[in-house]
Amino acid sequence: MNKTVVKTPEEKKRSFFSRPGSQKFIVLLVVVFLFIFFSIFSENFRKYTTILSIMDYSYYIVLMAIGVTFPLITGGVDLSIGTGLICYSLAGGYLVVHCGWPTWAGMIVSVLFGILIGMLNGVLVSIMSLPPFLATLCTCMITRGLGSICSKSFGISWPTSGSEGSWFRDIFKITIGDTKYPLGFVWVLLLVLLMAFVLNHTKIGRYTIAIGSNKEATILSGINVRFYHIMAYVISGLFAGLASIAYSAVFSTVQPGTGAGFELEAIGGAIIGGVSASGGSGSVGGSLLGVFVICLLKTGLPYIGLQANWQQIITGLVLIGAVMVDILKKKKAATV
Amino acid sequence: MEKIKENPIVKKIGINRIVLCGVLLLMYAVFCMLSDKFVGMQRIMSALNYAYFLGFLSLGVTFVIATGGIDFSIGPVMFCSALISGYCLTSYGVPLALSLVISILVGALFGVFNGYFVAYWTVPPFIISMASMNIAKGLASVFTKTQSVSWPQSVDANGWYRSFVKVGNFPVGLVIFLVFAVLCSILLNQTKAGRYILSLGSNKEAVRLSGVNVKKWEMLAYVICGTLVGIAAIFFVAAYTTVQPGYGDQYNNEAIAGCVMGGTSMVGGLASISGTVIGVFIIALLQEGILALGFSKDYQLIITGIIVIVAVYADVATRRRKN
Amino acid sequence: MGDTILKMKEIDKSFPGVHALDHVNFEVRKGEVHALMGENGAGKSTLMKVLTGIYTKDSGSIMFEGKEVEFHNTREAQDAGIVIVHQELNMLGHLTVAQNIFIGREFKKGIRIDDKKMNEEAAKLFGKLHIDIDPAETMSNLTVGKQQMCEIAKAISHEAKVIIFDEPSAALTETEIEELFKIIRDLRKQQLGIVYISHRMDEIKVITDRVTVMRDGGYVGTLITNDCTKDDIINMMVGRVIYEDPKTESTVPKGAPVVLKVENLNAGRMVQDVSFELRKGEILGFSGLMGAGRTETARAIFGADPKTGGDIYINGQKVEINSPEDAVKCGIGYLSEDRKRFGIVVQKSVAENSTMAALENFVKGLFIDKKTENKVAQDYVESLATKTPGVDQLVVNLSGGNQQKVVIAKWLIRNCDILIFDEPTRGIDVGAKNEIYKLMNRLAEEGKSIIMISSEMTEILRMSDRIVVMCEGRKTGEIDISEASQEIIMNMATREI
Repeated sequence: MNKTVVKTPEEKKRSFFSRPGSQKFIVLLVVVFLFIFFSIFSENFRKYTTILSIMDYSYYIVLMAIGVTFPLITGGVDLSIGTGLICYSLAGGYLVVHCGWPTWAGMIVSVLFGILIGMLNGVLVSIMSLPPFLATLCTCMITRGLGSICSKSFGISWPTSGSEGSWFRDIFKITIGDTKYPLGFVWVLLLVLLMAFVLNHTKIGRYTIAIGSNKEATILSGINVRFYHIMAYVISGLFAGLASIAYSAVFSTVQPGTGAGFELEAIGGAIIGGVSASGGSGSVGGSLLGVFVICLLKTGLPYIGLQANWQQIITGLVLIGAVMVDILKKKKAATV
Repeated sequence: MEKIKENPIVKKIGINRIVLCGVLLLMYAVFCMLSDKFVGMQRIMSALNYAYFLGFLSLGVTFVIATGGIDFSIGPVMFCSALISGYCLTSYGVPLALSLVISILVGALFGVFNGYFVAYWTVPPFIISMASMNIAKGLASVFTKTQSVSWPQSVDANGWYRSFVKVGNFPVGLVIFLVFAVLCSILLNQTKAGRYILSLGSNKEAVRLSGVNVKKWEMLAYVICGTLVGIAAIFFVAAYTTVQPGYGDQYNNEAIAGCVMGGTSMVGGLASISGTVIGVFIIALLQEGILALGFSKDYQLIITGIIVIVAVYADVATRRRKN
Repeated sequence: MGDTILKMKEIDKSFPGVHALDHVNFEVRKGEVHALMGENGAGKSTLMKVLTGIYTKDSGSIMFEGKEVEFHNTREAQDAGIVIVHQELNMLGHLTVAQNIFIGREFKKGIRIDDKKMNEEAAKLFGKLHIDIDPAETMSNLTVGKQQMCEIAKAISHEAKVIIFDEPSAALTETEIEELFKIIRDLRKQQLGIVYISHRMDEIKVITDRVTVMRDGGYVGTLITNDCTKDDIINMMVGRVIYEDPKTESTVPKGAPVVLKVENLNAGRMVQDVSFELRKGEILGFSGLMGAGRTETARAIFGADPKTGGDIYINGQKVEINSPEDAVKCGIGYLSEDRKRFGIVVQKSVAENSTMAALENFVKGLFIDKKTENKVAQDYVESLATKTPGVDQLVVNLSGGNQQKVVIAKWLIRNCDILIFDEPTRGIDVGAKNEIYKLMNRLAEEGKSIIMISSEMTEILRMSDRIVVMCEGRKTGEIDISEASQEIIMNMATREI
């Protein structure tokens, strides 16, 4: 077998555009551009503390984005991650703060809660065949209610720095000498690598892509589609649980009733990073980069004198833009 | 059971709606038994206040769901309408009548925006909903500088708009809402627009091949929805006067719940305005009942979520059985 | 040719109202390519579906490698060594070639999927088949032909003993077909049994050893390919049955004006330079085998799919048709071959479906005038003899023939003068068929012009005044009914280009 496969010029061109790396590269350029742009226009933006705060803001969104990449690739969506995150954090935090549980136990409860809701989403979508956006919209509302009930409608502060059981905050931001280091970025990167491996080199990932690509054909190939479909949502729930830990660690107080809108930042990030809104393709690394576009906008805009809320508007528009690019690309591919 | 189903009167009203009415009455009876505070006009008026704006949201989203789409930006868009028009009224001194028009216009514009991208660009409705939900929240916050807006009270000079909801103890709002429901029902069932909206929800390609401009009519459904959301905003402020930016999403689910409970199918093509109306009353009564029994609003979020899941699953299951 | 590896004997299968397979015999030997031929609806696919376990047979026996077998799904058949390469591809576009081939049985190293080994194995497989495809390439980047090769490689990787090719060449280019044939010859050398379903006569002559012909669900006979001519096969396919009153001469008056003229219509690969004229009161039959591009031509004329070139004239005037909306304004109506998907809105009533294309006429002020709507719909129910309890009945509850009448009513109410009937009697029982025929004749007499696409030779010969024959996206012939015969049409439809 000779390895040199001759391609027609058209084939070459097409494979460049459809190569998963190309969009990632462009998004990386956007991230760099935004960073330079804000740095030029604002002196304050150039400070190390700004980078620290961008990192702080990014952890929970990145983690959600990693998870939600899986349901998105199956052609579904998980809208419950935002309110879910707050709910899991409140539930874990309540046990730690009010029931005297050790911090690690509270963290485990947060993650398990996430997995449980993920499983519920998976069952609703895969076995009961509800439309994904509707099923997860319902669990979004349910987790929001549950979160408030768990915390008796009061905000919860996980152990603050310096107090007993606050070691978990150091996981994300460690102070060595007088300097704070964004240690969380290391963990986030490791998790990105791990999930990129899961997506590209394990059965779970392979069948996630297969389901999004052509569900009928996947069933015909004799694969237990129901199980793997549920797994995609479980992963999303698991990462919402991990994101809740990041959120608890970074912010001093968790307020019930918040969290709506976080999912847009995560899903938006994933789609900007190249996940197709109609399923079948996407990458974890791309989702990471996409989230940084959103985080930079979120932290950067106030520095150039725009209200933080502009970020919501811009994120919405960028999301539509990213989806339209995806649609145009498909249209072009169909006519070639 | 079969006999009852075949009864001509029952058939005309629809077994579904009769059951829903039964549920409504039963719920009222149960709440009355559980809480003696529940008996009397005051609770009913309060529940109705909730039903008006929710009803308009629900009527709107019924049109979108009839096309087989979804819009869960309606709650935040309603708040956006109320905030922008309210801010115009209170801070820029725009006359009240014009402010009300602005409210409806803002809603309609969001409808145009959503509809355009769904119909002409084939962007999945849930993506557009997500995007415009955030755009609406952001826009409202930016416009009002993240301040809540208080519309005038009844006694104020500009308070006449509150009589949309009630005059003395007479529920004017109920009359207006029912009139709109009848209008929507006529629009959906008696006009060309409604015919095409329902048909394209059932089989878009067949309608297109009948020489119908399906994109136009699909977009129209979103515009109708947006307009009704703008009206919902007026009824919200007429009932509660104060609006805060950044909220509104909890009403999405309640509006969709009222709609699917009333027998509108999530896959499109099947919609019932009267069903939606009864569904809305059930949700409003539930909300009031939960508060009256001393539970927090959070329980309602959970119960509504479960109601939607059950209602949609019932629809999915019946269709599966038929095939 | 070696021993018989597969023997299907006296296979019988009925569906409600249709005797799909009538005691059919079929056998395949090791190292032979056996063609299965017949007109559309002759029962080839049904037979193969019975073989691979998609349908269960009513009676008869299947002997595979000397043992009687009965498969319950394709998976079981696959495991036994019988695989089918489908006409429509079951591929996962976002995965690579190797990943597609080994989907569901990946090689693993611990929990990691061993893509490297899968690529190597796929490369080996391609090497064996002398196919030049990069196993690591993403599936959707390949041409349709290459994708087809991958399907074949996948089939072979199951250690198949019998491979069924269901119209494999339908989407392939000339060179790709050459490659395919090379592979098939290789497989034959390796003593596999191959079933080759195709409509292309020239291919049959080139690649196959024996031909089995089916007709109307029955077994007609088996020939040795080298000992027979194309005409022999055609004769077996069309049979000697005398069909009911075929038209002998055109009923269109001489000098009837041309209402529709299509010039050099192009739309993708399936419609290439198609030109024809349609006269007032004429029924123009469009004949050809499956995949000849007739439906595509109709859809392009109707604006349902974009066209890449060509002009359309209506009553001598050039018109621009870019959407069905434009076409309907020009007075063209289209009855799709797939009623459920493209014809009717099943959850709506008879009346609502009937007025779908002409709703403007029923709007009074703001509202739909339901009284008139129902009355007009009722009129058409009566004049077309549609069997329905009432016009408010949901269309989903009607039978196929009556659904078809509702679609016809839709275009008549719109007052369309040019009607395109795409397989108007598909899935309709015999009695209802006759009614549709009578109706079409009546419409033509009333001055409507009809294009009738049909795969049934009987229908073409019975209804048409003139016949256009298509083959592989091109018009390959045009013939007046007075000169037409099944053999001539079949010849045109299978012409080598």
